Amino acid sequence: MNNEAVKDSNETTRPGPDQEKARPVFVHPIEAIFARILDFYGVAWEYEPRTFPLEWDAQGNVTVAFTPDFYLPQQNLYIELTTLRPKLTLKKNRKMKRIKELYPEINIKIYKRRELRNMMLRFGLVEEAEKIFGTEAQNWDE
Amino acid sequence: MKAITISRQMGSLGCETAHAVAECLGYRVLWREVINQAALRARTPEVALATIDELDLLGLRPPLKEIHAYHQAVRELMHELAASGNVILVGRAGQVILRGVPGVLHVRLYAPFEIRVERIAKRNNVSTETARAQVETSDEARRRYLRRYYHVRWDDPELYDLMINTAHLSGPEAAAIICAAVIDAKKISVKPAPTSESASCEP
Repeated sequence: MNNEAVKDSNETTRPGPDQEKARPVFVHPIEAIFARILDFYGVAWEYEPRTFPLEWDAQGNVTVAFTPDFYLPQQNLYIELTTLRPKLTLKKNRKMKRIKELYPEINIKIYKRRELRNMMLRFGLVEEAEKIFGTEAQNWDE
Repeated sequence: MKAITISRQMGSLGCETAHAVAECLGYRVLWREVINQAALRARTPEVALATIDELDLLGLRPPLKEIHAYHQAVRELMHELAASGNVILVGRAGQVILRGVPGVLHVRLYAPFEIRVERIAKRNNVSTETARAQVETSDEARRRYLRRYYHVRWDDPELYDLMINTAHLSGPEAAAIICAAVIDAKKISVKPAPTSESASCEP
């Protein structure tokens, strides 16, 4: 499947409310690609709509929080994309464990590095995948 | 008819036809809603996304336990929706789940492969090659879905009351045939032919 496949389709697209709005500025190119896939399928999405406090100091100020990348309201599903190498994901994994403890009612799907890379390769985005999943990408995602 | 199920191939004008039928009969079209509602009910949102991801672009592989829970919810929901009446259920194996339920018309829309490819290429503004890949992938996904979860052949004519080849029809024209089947079944009382050897069409 090449990248052309993710153009909008009348057959499969029923615009969600967010598709009527201006596109947000994505932090990372993989997020833009992910949004295009959701658009192709007509899945409504919101970009970083909610931050979940995870830790507080003695005064009750939030010291650690987590903001999933996407929320799919029709499926009630949060999506988090991470391009970090597995050995660098300790901090993120800890956050994910904490969020499930504090907010058991929410559903989160984490796309890990290899899953995202495979997703891009399925589009034929070989060169782009190398850029995104190269060493520089390790500075992103925090 | 209290409900109509529509099984369709990608590029066979399924959506246009379903909406035209709905307009004509005053029914509701339920398509993606069935997936989302069933997933919400079963608390399996990832399965909903995987189901929508017919071309496997997202590569989701939800646990089998969740898939089973989702399918159970789909079956329950389908029966509830059909019982509520005046609905058109698009896809999701409605022709199997509601098989034998009185007052439900099962329709199959199909068209030759190359015609569907042309339609998808034009509609999606993609190359013929890409459209062909999409149609092939979609056909395989839908065929596999029916086989894996309902143990039937997608194109088995016994699953349908009405099969329409849309190769030379528009969506509204296909819809007119369906509407006629529903309306005429209500209005026209056809008497059985007198029994005689000459009335037989069989050798």
